[in-house]
Amino acid sequence: MALSCSPVEPEKLSTAESMRKQFLRIAALVWICMSLTAAFAATPHYLITNDDVVFFPTSVTFYTVEANGLLTLSGQVFTGGFGISGGYFGQSRLAVLNSSTDQCVYTSEAFSGDIVGVSVNTLEVGGSAFGSETDTGASNGIGLALNSQYLYASFTDPNAIGTFQIQPGCSLTFISDTSVVGLQGGFVTAMAVHGTTLVVTYGDGSIESFNIANGPPVSNGDKQNSTAFLKSRGAAYPNGVDITEDGHFAIFGDTATSENVEVSDMSSGRLGKTVVYSSGAAINSSNLMLSPNEALLYVSNTQGDQITAAFFDKNTGKVSGGCTSNKLKGYGTSWAFLGSLAVANPNGSGGAVYVAEFGPESSIGIVQVSVSAGTCSLAERAKSPVLDPNSSGLLSISTFPPRSF
Amino acid sequence: MQCITRFLLGMATCGVASLSAFAQCPPRPNPDTIVQDAPSIYSQNGVLKADLTLGHSVDINGYTHYCYIYQTATGVVEAPTLRLNPGDRLLLHVKDNITGNDESVSAMDMPSSGAKCGDAGMATLNSTNVHFHGMNVPPTCHQDDVLTTLIQPGTPGFQFDLQVPGNEPPGLYWYHPHVHGFTEFQVNGGAAGAIVIEGMDKLRPEVAGLPERVFTVRQQFLVPWVPGPYQLTFNFQQAGIVQGPSPIITMKPGEKQFWRILNATLQDFMPLQVWVNGEPQPLELIALDGYPLAQPRTQKTILIPPAGRAEFIVQAPPAGTQAYFYTLTYPTGLTGNPDIIEPLAKIQLSNSAPSAPVVKTNAQPVSLDKLKFSGLLNQSPTAERKLYFSEEFGGTNGPIQFYITVDGQKQKVFQPNEDPAIVTQVGAVEDWTIENRALETHDFHIHQIHFQVLEVDGKPVATHDLRDSIEIPFWSGSGPYPSVKVRMDFRDPNTAGTFVFHCHILLHEDLGMMHKILVKP
Repeated sequence: MALSCSPVEPEKLSTAESMRKQFLRIAALVWICMSLTAAFAATPHYLITNDDVVFFPTSVTFYTVEANGLLTLSGQVFTGGFGISGGYFGQSRLAVLNSSTDQCVYTSEAFSGDIVGVSVNTLEVGGSAFGSETDTGASNGIGLALNSQYLYASFTDPNAIGTFQIQPGCSLTFISDTSVVGLQGGFVTAMAVHGTTLVVTYGDGSIESFNIANGPPVSNGDKQNSTAFLKSRGAAYPNGVDITEDGHFAIFGDTATSENVEVSDMSSGRLGKTVVYSSGAAINSSNLMLSPNEALLYVSNTQGDQITAAFFDKNTGKVSGGCTSNKLKGYGTSWAFLGSLAVANPNGSGGAVYVAEFGPESSIGIVQVSVSAGTCSLAERAKSPVLDPNSSGLLSISTFPPRSF
Repeated sequence: MQCITRFLLGMATCGVASLSAFAQCPPRPNPDTIVQDAPSIYSQNGVLKADLTLGHSVDINGYTHYCYIYQTATGVVEAPTLRLNPGDRLLLHVKDNITGNDESVSAMDMPSSGAKCGDAGMATLNSTNVHFHGMNVPPTCHQDDVLTTLIQPGTPGFQFDLQVPGNEPPGLYWYHPHVHGFTEFQVNGGAAGAIVIEGMDKLRPEVAGLPERVFTVRQQFLVPWVPGPYQLTFNFQQAGIVQGPSPIITMKPGEKQFWRILNATLQDFMPLQVWVNGEPQPLELIALDGYPLAQPRTQKTILIPPAGRAEFIVQAPPAGTQAYFYTLTYPTGLTGNPDIIEPLAKIQLSNSAPSAPVVKTNAQPVSLDKLKFSGLLNQSPTAERKLYFSEEFGGTNGPIQFYITVDGQKQKVFQPNEDPAIVTQVGAVEDWTIENRALETHDFHIHQIHFQVLEVDGKPVATHDLRDSIEIPFWSGSGPYPSVKVRMDFRDPNTAGTFVFHCHILLHEDLGMMHKILVKP
């Protein structure tokens, strides 16, 4: 039902009763409108970091996303374990659930090996769960991805994907582990979920998709080496991954000496041969993210110091043109690598792109996006970066509310 | 993937440690004891003939040792110093006696071109060969060829037969394994020894008659895939412990000694200082990388990159003072390995300190212009090239691709069967600019020849030292890339053949930061 806060047209009643009724109706409508406004205003809008602290208790930090896209530190939630301050670039160590009943951020603790759920509304830990005895991520972290029922955790030490049932109150129940391995023996570097499909990269040039309709992943039998990996004889390989809203395409960000993304048509239910799109605009593309409207593909030039926005055609899967930011401030002095991406606005182009900056002084870069008449520009905000004092090596960020897919 | 990850290599070595059945390597000296120089083997009548066996064991603390064992009349010694004169012949028989390794792990393809030297089979953690680092000898089978030479365990061994050039600069060189993919592990275990080409006194009378010491700094780590700082050792004695047990160098008060320092660490850039009562002392630098300087220089700090050597005169302080030999903190960049300040040894002063062997005296003086590479500065380059170091990370802990690239070519990691990245010919004199585009410091090394340093960061240098290994500092993320410009000398017909240039941070070399150069006859 559509709601309107405009006064309704008075019914044609001339009696005092009708005026009283009319008054009550208007009052009720005003109350509803005020309540909705209050409710909307109360919806938290956060940028969240997995602080991945290695020697002291680790945490997640919540920054309020202001109306202008800038960030204000709001709170820190200690999650009880320890991180490792590092790991794979494509891996997301945060997964955000925004269901009708629960609003949660799940975070992985790489050294401790558990997954912790934090309520976005109370900023309190709702629950945590371990996988099997061997499930840790001390070598390269624990990646997370989820749908409405299950959360998947890639444990890099045993090279296993743990399946967890999402429970009310931001808690989890471990179901089982699935051992996986890339074609060249690689470990899971990144995962993305769309409905009942889980897509993974292995960091050794190979990719694979799984059916997760029943929870634990079952291979779709499409494990394959990416086209860029084969063409480059190993110098480029998929790292980060994202999936379009309709599940038609999986998009891979390559670790490479140039900017390199690969697109796989998975409309058949299996990953198709990837198509490579290269650009000399920047170096490395280990992390990427589609804009909420899927018109732009944001690429974190992990090892360079820039962000790229390429145009994406969600109907054909083609990647073209776009724009690249100037060098972000602090590269080489405060931070060494760019990590994951998030957007300020869950709609449209996202408005501003946030990027994790990994180094002795971890920070969050803020890059304003402008799109006009088939062109775009990316400009780092004057108040960027925002120092992240709680992290000893920031690689993963996310926002709440998240993008809708 | 093309590169073998540090993790997989580490796992393999971990397996090695657990499988080692008995100790092949001699025990290493206890901490807090007087430093002994490695025993020397001298050439006689123009020939140095020796048999070395590469052994392997794990000590009671879990450190993996790889050792060059030399049998003497009274027992075995480790990593002897080989002493030759210019023009001498080195007949070195090397046997690989490594046992206990899992043959199935981490095998590497050797060139499929049919070029083989030594034993057949795949290169594994058990395989070895020898690189004569800094020696200006041909890159051919039985001499200094690391691309095709393979020595497998359990075979009769391999005979090296080198003729030291008659104009070889006198100085400090070294020998170590160089099987691509596995160099780090064997060198880390201690497989490195010094070579002295005699005759420094003929060029630098300052050293004549001085007691001579040969010190080798190595590294060792317990768990190979955990980042450093790694344990430093000083002539195999554990070093680097502040206010704890330390190697002891004995000197007489006020005595001058001629120190020859070999940096055989895997990755440590070492700014060296001698401290007396907390103050750095002047050191008289005589030679770098085995090549005598045009003029001795007095410096308080002498930087030696991994694989580099420095030879200098140290004067002991008066009795009653505290003296230490230190390596200082060296910045290696945001993604570099931390090189922190560490004591290498404490200097114990005593009138009764045992005397070290002295450098020969009364030798016939030799002029620098009689040495190999003399006059190089006056040559006109026949070609100019630009090369650069770069890195590609898939995560903060790897996988990492390490590249050295000839500008204009595609970045790729080294493959044993690849074509040479550079082709030149005997007679060429080339100027190479080598940039560092990575956020960590790298260490350029080329086999077979020394190069002359012309510029640093685009600015001419005052001292045109001849080196075989040189540091190129990390890029800060903005501004021009740090660089060195060096002159390469391929005039000698003995340089003909295929050899390599690479980063001498040994993990980087093992993971492919290396390429081939072909010098056509």
